[in-house]
Amino acid sequence: MLRVAWRSLTAHRLRTFLTTLAILLGVAMICGTYVLSDQIDSGFKDIFTNAYRGIDVTVTRKAKFSGDMTGATAGLPESMVAQVKAVSGVADAYGYVSGTGAVAVDGKVVSTGGSPTLFFSYAPGDVSNATYVQGGHPAAPGQVSIIQKLAKDKNLGIGSKIDVITPGGSETVTVSGIFTFGAESSLGGSILIDTTLADAQRWFDMKGSVSTIDAKAEAGVSPDVLAGRVRTALPPYADVKTGTQAATDQTKQISDAIGGFLRPVLLSFGGIAVLVGAFIIFNAFSMTVAQRRREFAMLRALGASRRQVLGVVTGEALVMGILASVLGILVGLAIAAGILRLFAAANIDIPHSGLVLAPRTIVVALAVGIVVTLLSAVVPATRATRVPPMAALQEGASLPPSRFARFTPYIAIVVAILGALAIVAGMYGPGNTTSRLATIALGAVFLFVAVAMVSRYIIRPLAGVLGWPLQRVSPVSGRLARDNSRRNPGRTAATASALMIGLGVVVFVAVFAQGLKTSFIDSFDRVVRADFIVQGKNFLPLPSDTAGKVQGAVGVQTAAAVQAQQAQIGGKTVAVYAVDPVAFQQVWKFDWLKGGTDAVLGKLGTDGVLVEEQTASTLGTGVGKTVTLTTVDGKQAKLKVVGVYRDPIMLNGVVMTDAAYQSIFTKPQLFMVFATTGTGASVSETQTSLKAALATVPTADVQTAQEYKDGIVKQVNQLLNLLYGLLAMSVIISIFGIVNTLVLAVFERTREIGLTRAIGMSRRQVRSTVRYESVITSIIGAIMGIVVGVVFAWVVTTRFAGQGITFSIPGVQLVVFLIVGVIVGIIAAILPAHRAAKIDILEAIHYE
Amino acid sequence: MSDNVDTTTIVKKEGAAPATCEAGTTVGLEDAVVQARGVERDYGQGDALVRALAGIDIDLQRGAYTAIMGPSGSGKSTLMHILAGLDKPTAGNVWIDGQEITTLKERALTQLRRDKIGFIFQTFNLLPTLTAAENITLPLTIAGRKGDAAWVDELIKTVGLGDRLTHKPSELSGGQQQRVAVARALASRPAVLFADEPTGNLDSRTGEEVLQLLRQSRDKLGQTIVMVTHDAHAATYADRIVFLKDGAIAHDCGRLGRDDIYEVIKSLEDA
Repeated sequence: MLRVAWRSLTAHRLRTFLTTLAILLGVAMICGTYVLSDQIDSGFKDIFTNAYRGIDVTVTRKAKFSGDMTGATAGLPESMVAQVKAVSGVADAYGYVSGTGAVAVDGKVVSTGGSPTLFFSYAPGDVSNATYVQGGHPAAPGQVSIIQKLAKDKNLGIGSKIDVITPGGSETVTVSGIFTFGAESSLGGSILIDTTLADAQRWFDMKGSVSTIDAKAEAGVSPDVLAGRVRTALPPYADVKTGTQAATDQTKQISDAIGGFLRPVLLSFGGIAVLVGAFIIFNAFSMTVAQRRREFAMLRALGASRRQVLGVVTGEALVMGILASVLGILVGLAIAAGILRLFAAANIDIPHSGLVLAPRTIVVALAVGIVVTLLSAVVPATRATRVPPMAALQEGASLPPSRFARFTPYIAIVVAILGALAIVAGMYGPGNTTSRLATIALGAVFLFVAVAMVSRYIIRPLAGVLGWPLQRVSPVSGRLARDNSRRNPGRTAATASALMIGLGVVVFVAVFAQGLKTSFIDSFDRVVRADFIVQGKNFLPLPSDTAGKVQGAVGVQTAAAVQAQQAQIGGKTVAVYAVDPVAFQQVWKFDWLKGGTDAVLGKLGTDGVLVEEQTASTLGTGVGKTVTLTTVDGKQAKLKVVGVYRDPIMLNGVVMTDAAYQSIFTKPQLFMVFATTGTGASVSETQTSLKAALATVPTADVQTAQEYKDGIVKQVNQLLNLLYGLLAMSVIISIFGIVNTLVLAVFERTREIGLTRAIGMSRRQVRSTVRYESVITSIIGAIMGIVVGVVFAWVVTTRFAGQGITFSIPGVQLVVFLIVGVIVGIIAAILPAHRAAKIDILEAIHYE
Repeated sequence: MSDNVDTTTIVKKEGAAPATCEAGTTVGLEDAVVQARGVERDYGQGDALVRALAGIDIDLQRGAYTAIMGPSGSGKSTLMHILAGLDKPTAGNVWIDGQEITTLKERALTQLRRDKIGFIFQTFNLLPTLTAAENITLPLTIAGRKGDAAWVDELIKTVGLGDRLTHKPSELSGGQQQRVAVARALASRPAVLFADEPTGNLDSRTGEEVLQLLRQSRDKLGQTIVMVTHDAHAATYADRIVFLKDGAIAHDCGRLGRDDIYEVIKSLEDA
């Protein structure tokens, strides 16, 4: 019987191809995600393994919590190096300072495409894997050695001058050597700079300290044993690990950073594509089962059991699922390779190994492809078994309605309620972010399915309305298209639903992003009084003396610096902002709550703190209460809450004075500088003078308030475009769905089309009939998608209202999406319309 | 409405009355493969009630080639559907090979179709994706049997398609397709073969081939055949012709020539 299934697949190649493609692309996205992230993982693993080769034990300062600002640690006292050396079994030990900064050549910052520029101080005895190809280690302050890729890219040699920009400021240094790292001329796009210890300590504010102490074991002493001995010899704040352990930990940290964001995001887009594919498979099977009812009846008349008929249809689904999964894996490998090429072309050098096809990837891809295909075919397959053998003897017998057809609305309601419950549970319930997002996503899937189920009831009126103008424009084709799209509402509904899902998510993302942009701009306009914002380009560090340079620029009245750090309060990591209360009032307008005024700023002192409304509610604190703050190094400070303000977007966390900051945190960390223009000075002249004043700080980006806002909006738009790109796959898949439906419908109506041609309809009219039907279907899908997306965005923005995100409809974009719907319809109709027009009149009217 | 005796009288009166015809039903034949007693079939309810079969008693002997004829709406198709277990009678019983089938459940009916019944359809109903040979052995495939290779060979020889076996139905003529369908129906050696207008979609020449093939399968293989047909010429191949009118058996005749058949039909239509 499997042969019957197989033959049916090979006999209808176009149908098989389109249906397989529908699921293939989703599987490919999922597989590609795994392959890509595995490649990046193992790329980093290679790097860290290489970096720690030869290092038996490594010591750092224990972090109280992990955050984005790891450079904030005070490090270890330099004297500890001697302590480590003294441990029995240590052959040699040395300490070094590391940090991130930037490099400028000819006054221009060298772009690393998002990878960090890493500074390491060199210590004699260093067993690091730097291999010098030219020159040697920096021998004196003012010298650095650089990684070969930088030398090649910027055409640098021994004696070349470059600028290094670090939190300590900007300095011009001389290149003393060029090295490769292990076998690599670059380290995953990162720039590596080797410096003297003295320079590094000065630049990273680590006087008398080192970031890390590495030790080498004497022969015969195992790293584990040595780590144990070192651990007992050092104070508890020292974190002692073997080199292997450190490499594993760092790999894991990066993997988690990638796995915790990139992977789930990409996988969910793959998931959306699979869901769209499922609708198309369901529809394709429903239609072919209806068309083949006589075949099934004949099989039954020849003695085939229901189970065997089920076997034929599910067998076809199984073969399709296997085919789609296997091809999907291959396409996924190609996608992963393509993305890395694309990044490489954009000069973003992501570390990666060769293609990694892990068993997990194969298992997941096969399981998703096969299970989804089979599940989508189950309902149509069950209907096929309900064809009575009698149908083989009857002309034009129709498929018996499903046993559950009359329950459809009720099932849809139940599914919708389950979906709504899941969404509510995800938004307000307990659990970590990932599991809550997963619950919301599941709820969204349920809602989509429910909408698809009930949509068949709105097809007739909706198609009637949409078809009306077409009928006015073209009385024959328009009329026929309108009728055709209404004659099998279930089929039109399923086809449109596939498009609805893709577009629904697009609309959701668009509305959400619009809310984000609007609320950011509103919030900015409400609180920021400054004319200029100075911040680090691409998150590069801003030297601490930047604020002074801003203040010194001609035309600037007030410059107010904001430092930023992370700390823990009550076990939660919060952002800490430090300002000069007097200067900050000039650039900032706090939205005070609980009767606060700017006078509160004067009461801050060195032990007061302001708390943002959201943070206050999560911490359960308020004016007059005391909070205990813990730094990453474990230092604690008690602070009194003197004011509560509302600012969920710009300064979401706590605010303290620079003085308080200095006494709690070891290192300054400049975040932004706000500046106002003095009376009589023009904004544009001041901007020019600001830029001149900051010429020695190439990482500084001077923007007017408007430019800053535009920049944020641009960033959101970039992200939005990336998401649109990922969602385009789902929309493309739904085009295949429409093509498939139309091809099958044209096939079904061969006789009818022949008849209309026989009584005088032109090929052109036949083509437009198909095209109009396609457009009606796709507009219905677009409308449903827009409605569902907007509603869903409304629900979610309502949930995040506390975070300052407002609900705002991007009208122009919604119109664009509707037009996209029309275009989808037109594209999808090309092939089916051509087929319909080709139908031979004579053959068609003899066709049954 | 005239009674049966009258009708027979009319036929006889016109001089063309076939001597082999009996009025009404013939039951109690020895070794009957298919038996029906008191079979009624109603469609619809209340005012819309249509009685398609109004109490049929019939026995079909093993090895007999029976044609069922009658004007449109006489119930001949309904009778065949019920005899073949495709439809359930409103009242009455049907036995195939001694087994009562009207009370059988889905599963048992499927088994019955596999083991006892063969079908030939007006529109051939071959699987377009399978070759002629694969179509012929399809019932064996469905039943999960290997089948008797010699038997299949003999069938193929009988239907005379030796060189076209690897062709798809779309590459065969209508007559060839129907011959494949006959071979398919015979493949599982059914107790009874039901043919529904087997020549309805064929021209006279290819129809002739199919009719001869059916005759051969009766004569050479002893196949029991029940054929529903409009075609008087097709009916001349049958050993027995049962005429239905208004859901009841009007005449039950032996072999008849074409003219005799026309006469009987005409008399049924006139009455």
